[in-house]
This record gives sequence, structure tokens and C-alpha cells, in this order.
Amino acid sequence: MFSRDVCRRLYGVLAVLAVLVPLGVTSAQDTITLDFYYPTAVDGPIAQILEEYAQQFEAENPGIDVNPIYTGSYVDTRQAIQTEIQGGGTGPDVAVMLATDIFSLAEEGYVVPVQQFIDQMEDPEAFVSDFYESLMVNSVDEEGTIWSIPFQRSTPILYYNKDMFREAGLDPEQPPRNRDELVEYAQKLTLPNGERWGLMVAIAGDFPIWLFQSFVMANGQNLVEESPAKVYLNTPEAVDALKFLIDLGSTYRVQPEGGTSWGDTPTAFTSGQAAMIYHTVGSLTSILQNADFEVGVGYLPSGPAGEDGTGYGTPTGGGNLYIFANSTPEEQEAAWKWVQFLASPEIQADWGAKTGYIAARRSAWETDILQELVAQYPQYAVARDQLEIAGKEFTSYRAIDVQNIINNTVSSILAGERTDIETALAEAQAQIDSLLAEYQ
Amino acid sequence: MTRRRTWASRLADAAIITVSIIWMLPLFFAILMSFRPQRDPITNGNIFFGSTLTLANYMSAWEVAPWPAHYANSIIFVVGVLVVQVFTITMAGYAFARLRFPGRNLLLGIVLLQMMIPTGVLLVQNFATIRTLGLYDTQIAMMVPYWGSAFGTLLMRQAFREVPYELEEAARIDGANWAQIMRHVYIPLTIPSYVAFALVSISSHWNEFLWPFIVTRSAHVQPLTVGLNKLYQTSDVGALYGQLMAGTLMVIAPLVILFILFQRRFIESFASSGIK
Repeated sequence: MFSRDVCRRLYGVLAVLAVLVPLGVTSAQDTITLDFYYPTAVDGPIAQILEEYAQQFEAENPGIDVNPIYTGSYVDTRQAIQTEIQGGGTGPDVAVMLATDIFSLAEEGYVVPVQQFIDQMEDPEAFVSDFYESLMVNSVDEEGTIWSIPFQRSTPILYYNKDMFREAGLDPEQPPRNRDELVEYAQKLTLPNGERWGLMVAIAGDFPIWLFQSFVMANGQNLVEESPAKVYLNTPEAVDALKFLIDLGSTYRVQPEGGTSWGDTPTAFTSGQAAMIYHTVGSLTSILQNADFEVGVGYLPSGPAGEDGTGYGTPTGGGNLYIFANSTPEEQEAAWKWVQFLASPEIQADWGAKTGYIAARRSAWETDILQELVAQYPQYAVARDQLEIAGKEFTSYRAIDVQNIINNTVSSILAGERTDIETALAEAQAQIDSLLAEYQ
Repeated sequence: MTRRRTWASRLADAAIITVSIIWMLPLFFAILMSFRPQRDPITNGNIFFGSTLTLANYMSAWEVAPWPAHYANSIIFVVGVLVVQVFTITMAGYAFARLRFPGRNLLLGIVLLQMMIPTGVLLVQNFATIRTLGLYDTQIAMMVPYWGSAFGTLLMRQAFREVPYELEEAARIDGANWAQIMRHVYIPLTIPSYVAFALVSISSHWNEFLWPFIVTRSAHVQPLTVGLNKLYQTSDVGALYGQLMAGTLMVIAPLVILFILFQRRFIESFASSGIK
């Protein structure tokens, strides 16, 4: 009997050895292997798509192997990378992380700026200026150094149900252009007793900052300007944005009070419970697939800051490609090739068409694949054109902590837990200022 | 008397049925949603089968991850953990129950303390250990931290202490060595505790996400929960509940089937081992 236990223990040792031995053998260094972490947050066979890209890249670049690894959400990815690096591991060579992670990643020393690789290009100027400025604005620090390259980007847009517009006597080709029209249209589209809402702004829940920011920007003051050490939360523009969001539910009664949840809003729209919604362009593909009515898309309606375009408020969002500091110089060179490949017009176009993310380069929109997509679904072009008037997405030093403060404050106000908007914002601003004091 | 008892038992039955319906509701809605088309959410008026039934959610969920590999990995993970755990908790449980040695209570205290440390705190340290051992991105790496179980050790210690010591003495007089005593006296008498422990161990590791997610990167070693995460993380398109529920049901199906098959056995074990 005892011998059986001994055997079992031996098997355990053998099992460990069986794993260890091959690891020791395969450390020959003739090819460079890149670990690429991606937290792609759309549905579909994403792993297959990236595997195909990797194969295509490897065929064009002998000597480099790319190993695409799905790492869950952006938060999961950050946690995995932190654990690995703090635990003495190397982390990935390239990863897709939030564009707004720039300052925390730089501060922790996890990533290197891609500026050094861009500088070695034949025509750095042409490469950089091909990306939409509104996307690149989140890639640069105060000195203008570029840290990351846009990859899976998005922006919020207004979706509307053209059939319902017709039914309500509205022009289906003319989405609301400003807040007055938004309220007026929404009132015409709302049916009593919650049978149908004229509008749903997907702002309820624990991450309201993105759409909240769009309303603040449309009032003429972004939450953040040039400096990542200064946050503008306690402003008349922010107070007004919150009042308007509350009024949509409680005064105009065109949307459920407090807004609707991020996850449920697209289905509420496709199932006809809402005539207009604020959501990300990332949902466009699945909305087009699921809607049995004509889907219209418009810019986010402008705010009182001006009808001439300055009152448009649209942040961008999504993930950029970062190159990691733990990699060797050779690996970083190879990593830059992979980043350039993923950011190439052809791949950006293909990736955008397959996932619904918005291609980040102007030249990508001239490829056949996106030309055809736009010809078939002009809705995609609206989101693209809106990039021209989009602004900087919120980021700062200590971005995660600061975002948490803003999210908690905004959601408690929208949920009606706090009614003293000015005081709540002042308190949050004080908290943020003390967090950022050391960066002044 | 008889009438009153029937009345009381009917009331008890009604209460039990009500509670089980409440417990069943989430599973019921998960099944319902997984078969409804994406554009008809559960909130859309016709709660039951007002819309059409479809397998589309299952088909798209199936495409997202290499499920057969994930199933195999989950099974390897829970079995690999359980087999070693049964060995270690038997040894340690017996030592704490029957052997007298200096520092026994101190050691037992340390084992108890271990139950109070949340696993998240040890994440970075455990990762460093795994990396030093060269086990990163292997199935062994997922199992190693669970090979010792404080809960199981305490459970078996209690179970062994309840076995009359006279039985061990009698066996020894008959010439049994220690291994034979374990095999013929202690283990057969504590089977319910083992079954109860196995159930807790299997279900908790089947559902484990964070640790396997941190120490594995390749789909061919990752368990089901890590695969399911792909369906859960769709924030850039909003929630796809139908697909998520289809995936969730695929992941929990083996456990549910296991439970239905061995239901009576499990309940007996829980009742007799004193775990509630």
C-alpha cells in the first residue's frame, strides 16, 4: 500500500520534470518570439482573426514569431501584466492597453515611447499625420512624445430608428443637431407608460465618465486639457451637463431616470424600446445585424457652446499598441515591426470591417474593403467623419484613481443619491487635486 | 393529531417548493435567454416563448473559444488538484488527529491561519514561485497552490478523531501496518467526509478564474472559466446576454450533470460529515 503512495509521489515528480525539461531545451535564440496581449472587447472569432494576422506577418518577416494571447478585459490585462512584472517575469513584448493608460504605464516604467522608433522612419511626419489627430492626442505626453499607436479605437455616436422618425413625422435623414432638437425629437418619439423611450443615454452604472465627458465637452470645457496634472471637474460646464442629464429623465421624461446601463442599451434600441441611443460605434456592426428597421447614425448633438461646431463634444476611446520596457532591444525592434503591421492601412481596414472598431488612419478608409463597407453602410462614414471634431479622452496622472472618483461622483448624482451637485463636484475636485498635488 | 400533522407538512412542502423555485429562477432565466434571439431581450414584453427559439447563441458562443481543449483542461485541473489533495489531507489529517509530536498545536494553528489569508494577497508571490520553478503557462502551475488544503486537513482531522481509537489498536494487534490501518480502518469509515470534500474542491476549482488566468497564457492549457471570459468581456458592443448565457450553461453543464447523477450521495455525505 505504502508503495502505491510512493509511486504516486514519483509520478508527480516525473510530471514536473516532463514539463521542466522541454522548457530548458527550447531556449535556442535563432528566432525572436513576441508575446502580444490583447483585451479585445467585441464578440466574434477575434482569436482566429489575430492568428491570421500573425501568420501573415510571420510570412513577411522571417525570424519573428508572434504569439497573440487573449487577456480578458483591459482591467484583467493590466492585472496580469502587473502580476507578471512584479513577480519577476518579463510581461508581454507588445500589448493593447487603454490609450488613457499612457501616464500610469510611463510612470511605472512598463513601456517605452514608440517615438524613438518613429524617429527612425523614412518619413515620420507622413506616418503620424495619417492618423486622426483626435486619436493621436491621447498618445502623446506633455512634451509631445508619442507613447503608443492607435489600434482598436471607438467613439460614441447617436443611433436613431428611422422608421420611428417617419412615424413621428420627423425627417428620417435629419438626426437632432443640438440639445434643443434632441429634447424636442425625443419628446415626439416617447410613448407613455414606458412603452417606448425617445432617448437612452447609456450612462447608468459604474463607468459613466465617457458619455458624461461628451456632455461636458459640448458645454465648452473638457475635463482635461493639455496638462495631465490638472482636472476640470468642478466647473459650471460639468454642473450644467449633469443637470441636463437629470432633466432628460425627470423634467422632459424622455428617458428612464438616471439613464440606462451600458450593456442593455443596444438591445433596447434594436428591440424598439428606444428611438435614439447614445452608444459606441463599436456596437454598430451588431446593431445593423440585429435591427429589423432602418438604422440612422448621427454626430452627438452639439451643446450650447456653439452651433458652429465648437459645441460638439465627442471623446474617443479604446486601446492602443504599447511596446514594453522589459524586452531586449532586438525584441523591441521586432515589436515595432508588428505594431507597424497592425497599424498599417490594410490591417486597420480589415480589422475595422471585421470588428466594428473605427480604422484609425485616413489611408485605411481609401482601401477597397472600407470603401465597399461605406458604400453598403454609410453609417460607418458618419462615425469616421465625427473623428474630425472629436476631442481628447479623459486621462491624467493616476488616471485610474481619478477616473474612479469621477465615476463614483457622477453615478451617485445620476442615481439621485446626491442632489447637491455643486458640493459633490467640489468634494470630488478636492480629492483629485490632493491626489495630483505631487505632480504640480 | 393526524390532521394537524398533514396540515403542517403541507405548509412545509409549500415553503420548500417556494424556496426551490426562487433558487431555480436564475438557472431558468439563463436557459431561457440562451435560446432567445439576441434582439429579443428578456425585458421585451413576451417573457416566455413569445419570440422564436434559436440555437444561434450556442453556435456563436462555440466559435469564440477552443472549448474541447478548455473542457479537457478543466477536468485535468480539478482532478489533478483533488488527487494530490486527498493524499495530503489524509496524511496531515491523520497526523493532527492521532500522532503526538512537539509543536502539533502550533502547526495546527498555522494551518488554521492559512484559511484566513485571502488568495488574492498571495497572487504576486505565488506567481514568482511558479516562475522560479519554471512552471509558468502549464497545467501544473494552476494546481500547485491547491495541493495542500487547510480546510481538507481540518475536515479529515475531525473525521479521523471520531473513529474509535480501539479500532486502530485492534488492527495493530492483528498485525496491520500503518498503511493497512489507513486503508482498512480510517479511510472506509470516513468516506462521507472524502465525498464532501471532493464536492467542495471540484466545484470551487471548476469555477476558479483568477489564478489560472494569471499563470496560463496559452489556450491549450487554460480552463473553461478563462474561455468563458471571452464571452463576458464585450464592453465595446454592449452586453450579449444570450451568447453569455449559452456559454455559461456550457461551462456549468458538467457540474450540474455530476450533481444530478450523484445527488443522493452528496446529500448523505453532507449530512453525515456535518458540513452544511
